[in-house]
Amino acid sequence: MAVLNNKKSKVSDEVPTSSMADIAFLLLIFFLVTTTFPKDKGLGVVLPEPGEEAQVSQKNILHLIIQPNGIVDVKRGESTQIQQMRPREIEGLWRQEVTANPNLIAAVKTHPDASYKFMMDVLDALHSANAERISLQILEN
Amino acid sequence: MAIKGGGFEKSSKASSEVPSSSLADIAFLLLIFFMVTTVFQADRDRPIEWPEAEAAEKIDEKQKNILNIWMERDGTIFINDQPYPMEDVSQIVAPLYADSERALVISIRGDREVPYRYMDLLQQELVAAGVVRVVFAAQLEQSMQRERR
Repeated sequence: MAVLNNKKSKVSDEVPTSSMADIAFLLLIFFLVTTTFPKDKGLGVVLPEPGEEAQVSQKNILHLIIQPNGIVDVKRGESTQIQQMRPREIEGLWRQEVTANPNLIAAVKTHPDASYKFMMDVLDALHSANAERISLQILEN
Repeated sequence: MAIKGGGFEKSSKASSEVPSSSLADIAFLLLIFFMVTTVFQADRDRPIEWPEAEAAEKIDEKQKNILNIWMERDGTIFINDQPYPMEDVSQIVAPLYADSERALVISIRGDREVPYRYMDLLQQELVAAGVVRVVFAAQLEQSMQRERR
């Protein structure tokens, strides 16, 4: 009997590598799932075609005038009454107004010195209220 | 000597199973193929402060049909890593828009503090270029951070 050549133990002395591919896959899938591209979001608008001008009756317009300090002056059509609001109050206002008049158009007029973010706040509120007819303008004196 | 298997011996020694040892390799090759062929946007991000919006939605267009127009705080315009004067924007965008067969979506990535007069000029340039679909890029604002009515 060649006792000296026999291995004493049947346990393999190598690290098991058969499941390495599975582990690599799990890692890959984990990173694939957790990777996000967060910047690809935004508020969509449709710009008018060049030269396109629509005549809208004043009673169907809700003027939202954004001041440089972020306060929004709300003016209904031809009335000269001005209601001052914060941007996030616009959402509730729009829901009220649009049930009264489904043809309403939101005319967002931003002061040239007002920050872009104030316009975004108002646009965000209008989007949250599912407004579809929005006109973006600059405030002219 | 007893006959194994009750006399029914396999006639062939070829395995009846599909070889699966190379399955992982094939899957890896596929993965690597798709990773290599995936094209991401070419331009680098400008350092801007993003505006926030709660109603921000994902842009529903292929990545190659989205053109980013960056606007920094002082109103400078960057398209594909290049600064451009405001008056040139429509001339740059119009051919790109025609090439994409009018599918191009402009993603306006403006700094939140940029004065609106520059934004209005940019919109006029885009209207002159005939672009219809525009997205004001924003970070998603969490509703939890906002006071609810």
